[in-house]
Amino acid sequence: MFSFRSIALSTLSTVSVLVSSSVFADVTLQTKFGAVTVDDNAERIVTLYEGALDALTAMDVEVLGSISTRGGDGVAQYISDQVPNIQIVGTTKETNIEAVLGLRPDVIMAPYYLSESQYKILSKIAPTIAPNFDRSKSSVWEEETLFFAKAIGKTAQAQRAIEDVHQLAEKTKSQLESSIPAEKREAMLARWMPQGPIVMADYLFANGLLSSVGLEPTHKNLLRGKRPHSSPLSLENLSVIDTDWLFLATLNKDGVDALEAAKSSPAFSRLNVIKQDHVTLVDGQTWTSASGPIAATEIINNVADALLAK
Amino acid sequence: MQRFINDIFREQAPSQRALLPCFIVCSGLFVLVTLSSMLIGAGEVGATDALSALVGLGNDEANFILFELRIPRTLTGIFVGIALGLSGALMQSLARNPLAEPGLLGVSAGASFSVAVALIFGASIATLTIGMAQLGALLGCLFVTAAARMQGQFKDPVRLVLAGAALSSLLTALTSILLMFDERAADEIRFWVTGSIAGRSMDNLLLVLPYGLVALIITLYVSKPLASMALGEKVALGLGHNPKVIRYLVILAVALLVGSATAVAGPIVFVGLVVPFAARAIVGADIRRTMIICIPIGPSLLLFADIFTRLIARPSEMPLGVLTAIIGAPILLMIVRAKRLPTLS
Amino acid sequence: MNHFFPHYQTTAWKIGSRQLNVVIESDAVIRNLILTVLLLGSGILSLSIGTVYVSPDQVIKALLGEGDSMTQFLINDLRLNRILAGIYTGAAFSLAGCLMQNVARNRLATPGIIGIDNAAMAFAVASVVGIGISLSPSHMALVGAATATALAFAIGGGSGTRGYRFIVAGLGIGAVSGAVSQLLLSQVHIDVANAAYPWTVGSLSGRDEEQVPWMGFITLLAVIACIILTRYFRLLSFADSVIITLGQKPNQIRFLAVVISVTLTGFAVAMSGPIGLIALVGPEMARTFAKHKGLPLVSSAICGAILMVLADLVGRTILSPIELPVGIVTAVVGGPYLIWILIRKPKQSSL
Repeated sequence: MFSFRSIALSTLSTVSVLVSSSVFADVTLQTKFGAVTVDDNAERIVTLYEGALDALTAMDVEVLGSISTRGGDGVAQYISDQVPNIQIVGTTKETNIEAVLGLRPDVIMAPYYLSESQYKILSKIAPTIAPNFDRSKSSVWEEETLFFAKAIGKTAQAQRAIEDVHQLAEKTKSQLESSIPAEKREAMLARWMPQGPIVMADYLFANGLLSSVGLEPTHKNLLRGKRPHSSPLSLENLSVIDTDWLFLATLNKDGVDALEAAKSSPAFSRLNVIKQDHVTLVDGQTWTSASGPIAATEIINNVADALLAK
Repeated sequence: MQRFINDIFREQAPSQRALLPCFIVCSGLFVLVTLSSMLIGAGEVGATDALSALVGLGNDEANFILFELRIPRTLTGIFVGIALGLSGALMQSLARNPLAEPGLLGVSAGASFSVAVALIFGASIATLTIGMAQLGALLGCLFVTAAARMQGQFKDPVRLVLAGAALSSLLTALTSILLMFDERAADEIRFWVTGSIAGRSMDNLLLVLPYGLVALIITLYVSKPLASMALGEKVALGLGHNPKVIRYLVILAVALLVGSATAVAGPIVFVGLVVPFAARAIVGADIRRTMIICIPIGPSLLLFADIFTRLIARPSEMPLGVLTAIIGAPILLMIVRAKRLPTLS
Repeated sequence: MNHFFPHYQTTAWKIGSRQLNVVIESDAVIRNLILTVLLLGSGILSLSIGTVYVSPDQVIKALLGEGDSMTQFLINDLRLNRILAGIYTGAAFSLAGCLMQNVARNRLATPGIIGIDNAAMAFAVASVVGIGISLSPSHMALVGAATATALAFAIGGGSGTRGYRFIVAGLGIGAVSGAVSQLLLSQVHIDVANAAYPWTVGSLSGRDEEQVPWMGFITLLAVIACIILTRYFRLLSFADSVIITLGQKPNQIRFLAVVISVTLTGFAVAMSGPIGLIALVGPEMARTFAKHKGLPLVSSAICGAILMVLADLVGRTILSPIELPVGIVTAVVGGPYLIWILIRKPKQSSL
């Protein structure tokens, strides 16, 4: 009974929304859903992706609204101090479209995993840009940062932010190389699960940074194809995580407790990496969820703090 | 399958078969599977290395794998297999329903739900409190039997199962609500809900063993009255048993068994359905005979499935719960496809 | 189970004499009119409440195509589409539930409980986590529901007495699908697992609006079919021998009811994900309104629609700005109700 009117009305309003927001357009981006044209004077920005929030914050661009991080009811801890006034418009599981609309954004920066049906609706609110880069490269965060920067005409600032990360990485690399011998640089990033650790793929964000500071991240051929992480590793094969340096990500305090309990299990404590205390506990929000220049800086600093002290 | 077995022992109906030879054959199978479970693994330690370790001649690596990993895992599998098999037999006898199974009736879902609650309140799954799982199993068990009795659903096999499925779906929904607000719990439980006996330490097993023993004693005590109850409650009353008390004891035993099994292994469906089904096919419907045969068959099935999970996705492992679901579903259909749903005498 | 209420006898005789007129009961018409008014009321309420406040006069203006473009977009595109999606899927789930319950003569036998939802979910999850399939999640959900139904029929060998074999086959398929979904979710990055989350709990947020009119069309078609076929479906409360005596074929009637039921469920799951409890609670509510007389198929559909719209309203607003998926709300609200159905003493009026 409503449907015919609704279709007519929605078409009408779609046209008006699209027209009103695209008159001054001057940047065209290749997104996951085709070419999208954006007005690069966009001032009201909403991000639905932690990587976009990180990139924009690194460029000192204010973001009006963003989604909460996994495992929290606000944005990720490492970045929350820098965006005190941000409004939450949903979670990684579900976006509150009305809240996005209520902020009257000029541009919506979406994650690579945005679904098409969500895109169809969001793109009626404002030009919605979802990156679509090859995710099997660890440097995808650089492309994404430049992608989001281009949309708001801040390419120069983005390049500077990325360059800063490279310089920090170089500096840390030379420090590490002087203190850790070349054959002792194998590293692994894993998350501790009750059934056993899951090993993260070498192409992920944090692993790319590990190699940029001179470590040699590995997944010991556990991952076939483009899988992001292994299944929980059989404890029989726990020796494969016995690398020179092990970074174990946990999501919060409880995770740390769980790991402490696991460390006492015989399968785990017999590993050299445990015996030598070469295990570093890291924040899963930053290491396995986030991406972008600020997270990158944080991770490199984590590595430097942990390894140079030992 | 029934027909197949009948063809082999053409001269006898299952209920007439002598118990002892059947038991010996099944135990032989059990020993075989147990040995294989110790010798075969996802890791690089092969059967010969493991065998030499077993007789005391192994190297460090093989010793470690065998004694720290495979033997605890195998023992856990034996415990879980016996617990789930027996609980299935008990429930089916009580409900007079060949479809009554802890997984189908929402008892496992009750245990999973309480584990999720425990996770939310900060207990880590690695240090999981066994009590929560048992409490959940008990509540699930009491609930579904209460529901069934209230509605007189014991008379109708499918109605009971539907009540259980409804309870399961409700608990699953409630679990996902809890998980919505706690990402770490969500992340951990998505691995836990698939059910597995990998990496279980002896500590967990030792913690649940006393409960298992209590349940076993109760089972022994109720087996005779249960058999007489199968002939009708009046017969049981005449023989001096109190059906009400027996019923509650059975529920308690089932809750202890399923709760313990779920606490160590996560939800593993259909083992409680398949094992008594096989046992009845071998020795007939008498509950005492069925339960005796369940004891070697339960672990055999579980360990067999578990060995499969180690080999199918080397060097990782496939979750056991998925495999038992795939094995069990056809058996479920087979039971139902029988012309008339068999009522258990 | 064969309570021969006088009411049933009259109906039965009418069909026995093969009259072609649709039996119209004035009670039912009045009841459904009241329910429709309630549905319209909840729809209007739902239109004006949300994360963004819009005053009632602005809502009306926007519906008439006036006011500023943002409000128009909010009301006409976001909320109206979402409410329509809620009405259609709610009606579909509930009608499907009522049909299946009638076939099995068991108020717990709904397509969701017997695993159709689970299979649709498994397929949708497979699409989200990208197991080499390019179909969209909603198409996959439809394929999943169809596959599960076909399998259940093939394995069960038709609907069988009271649809039991079909139901148990469905239960088995549902259990396997559930396990497979869990397996798929444990294989991917948690971000992707999160993207699949709405498909595992059921949500009306950001659904593909092009599907909405289709869903409406299918629901409408099913409702009309049910109005025409009600008199046959009512026969299912009798023993097969009675139905045969009345000159009808019980297996054909059952098959028809099951097919309509699973088709509705399949499309609804493809739209909103599994929201199984509506199928339990909607028909129950309708039976209460109908004072447990007859087979209130149309009322079930309207009740389901009301429930879905209100549940989604609660989900949108209660924790604002974070939205609760509607499946979660129905579980919290419907859960206690389900428990009550399970443990209360049976009455004569129960199925």
